[in-house]
Amino acid sequence: MNAVLKRAKSLESQEYALAVVVVLLFVAGAILKPDSFPTWANIRNMLTQASVVGVLAIGMTFVIATAGIDLSVGSMVAAAGVFGGILVGDDGTSSLLFIAGAIVFATALGTINATAISYGRVVPFIATLAMFSIGRGVALLLNDKLPVSLLDLNGGSFGTPAVGSLLWFGNGRLLGIPVSVYVFLAITIGGWIVLNRTRYGRYVVAVGGNREAARIAGVPVRRIIFSVYVLMGVLAGISTVLLCARLGSASPVSGNLYELDAIGAVVIGGTALAGGRATIVGTFLGVLTFALIFSLMTQLNLSTEVQQVTKGAIVLAAVLLQRPEARY
Amino acid sequence: MSLMRLSLLLSMAALLAFGAAACGGGTKTVTETAPASAGNGSPASGAGKEVSIIASVPPTDHGWLGAISKNAKAQAEKYDDVKFELLQAADADSQAQQVEQAIAKKPDALVILPQDGAALTPVAQKAERAGIPVVNIDRLFTAPDAATATILGDNYQIGVLAAGYIADQLKCKGNVVEIQGLAGISVTTDRSKGFKDELKKQCPDGGVEIVASQPGDFNPDTGLKVMENILQAEKQIDAVYTHDDDMAQGVVQAIRNAGRDQDMFLTGVGGSQDAMKQIAEGGLYRATFLYNPNMAASAVTMARLIAQGQGFPELVPPEVPRQLIVPAAVVTKENVEKYEQYAFN
Repeated sequence: MNAVLKRAKSLESQEYALAVVVVLLFVAGAILKPDSFPTWANIRNMLTQASVVGVLAIGMTFVIATAGIDLSVGSMVAAAGVFGGILVGDDGTSSLLFIAGAIVFATALGTINATAISYGRVVPFIATLAMFSIGRGVALLLNDKLPVSLLDLNGGSFGTPAVGSLLWFGNGRLLGIPVSVYVFLAITIGGWIVLNRTRYGRYVVAVGGNREAARIAGVPVRRIIFSVYVLMGVLAGISTVLLCARLGSASPVSGNLYELDAIGAVVIGGTALAGGRATIVGTFLGVLTFALIFSLMTQLNLSTEVQQVTKGAIVLAAVLLQRPEARY
Repeated sequence: MSLMRLSLLLSMAALLAFGAAACGGGTKTVTETAPASAGNGSPASGAGKEVSIIASVPPTDHGWLGAISKNAKAQAEKYDDVKFELLQAADADSQAQQVEQAIAKKPDALVILPQDGAALTPVAQKAERAGIPVVNIDRLFTAPDAATATILGDNYQIGVLAAGYIADQLKCKGNVVEIQGLAGISVTTDRSKGFKDELKKQCPDGGVEIVASQPGDFNPDTGLKVMENILQAEKQIDAVYTHDDDMAQGVVQAIRNAGRDQDMFLTGVGGSQDAMKQIAEGGLYRATFLYNPNMAASAVTMARLIAQGQGFPELVPPEVPRQLIVPAAVVTKENVEKYEQYAFN
């Protein structure tokens, strides 16, 4: 019992430490770019950019909590987008068809991962590495390597897209806040509740902590593992919608390396790669950390090589700043 | 049990197909060599001895690279005396392996558009030493003995043309954003350097400032994100020079989403159908600089002539020139009709 409490406490202090990193990055931005960084418009921009990978990172938190991994999310995003695009067709205007098509397709790909891992007993790394390749290939095959334009999915209104249309999810606002940010926040809060306040959430963590013990305690281990990869597929579909809505097209080369951004955000947030310990708040802060770093470095117009070194150094520093006992 | 039977069946089918292909090749050789021997003494044009050419290019997940593959294949099909094989590799390492395997097949010539010129140089040298001539497309090898002939676009000139166009449109006064391609390859460096050098020449007293210069990795969603951030940082932008038409679509969307498409104009590179369509319509997308992918077709022609030991029929020396540079062209609303035939998607 004591050990559990101690673990919970170290997780909390890790979240505080990461919150400090987020604040420090914001302050740094405000000092270096006082006119353009600490503005409402820029905060809105950073949150909008964060929402695409953020939705993936919430799903990835559940996957990693079971000691799994999903390397295929970026490819799923690309494939689901192109699938939705060709479903709507050149003259189509149905946003709902695109949204449903993309989510269903990504869920189907996630279900293939889930089946291979939980019933085919393929290790998650290999199963999703295979899907990483298959998904990208399917994205290129579906429309002969071409992107699909989605600019007509505006609900019939040029300029400001109509409420509920696809482009509205990318550019629309409610009370000054972008719609995609609401989607991201809703999924984050939902994820927090499921992980921390439901039996399902406890099972997910238990499976990652000690699979044998969980099985003996009566946890349906196989079904839990199956479910997290399906969930990852659903969230990859939602992420696709948010990305395509902003891009106004579905490109077979989009979503490149999103899996690394999502996994990175989850891990610097404090979720253990070995499973058994997960934090949605940490993941949320991890996503914000990456969004802040990216925005700040582009605004400062740093050269690529400097950006890469700086990004790596900040990530390392963020983890080192957290309490030593939380590092392993 | 059934699995074994299935695999047996499959391998038999494969053998049959192989045999058929080999026979097909055989009959072809006979018919092809006949006119060559008949037309003895005139080695200039027409069908020569049959030659096998293997081309190795990066994956065609990008409009321009797709057009490269398509053009190479189409050109090879025009020749009855060319046995052509097209290989695609996902990255520099696997491309090097692929070329290595291709050397083992002893083709009469290799055509290579390397993923990364430096990384593919050793294997190209190996081919040359094995007596297989290499025709290098666009991304240069780093050693002179790695290729028998080279055909390339002029990336530096692309930058020069873009700077000329933008300086002229802005009358040497304004802020420019540069969205570059993939960092660290010569294509990006040259397009960027040509732009900066020429801008200084065009506007010797300054006036045009490059306020931001960031890589968009030739990828529309990276272009979108990078441009979104730059739009936050820079309140006054008059022109955007992007290194690629595909990527530019993401940049266009970022500008439109921010509602600032009236404040600036944008140029691309490549010559995609989408870009040409938007240029013809007028508005944000003002120009693109054609980087003609039909250079791949010329590369196949060069490889065939080299393999047959011929020179260009119209030129005096008996060999194919060492290097050909395909000029770039400015495509604007005024002349877009003329260039639409070269557009790719």
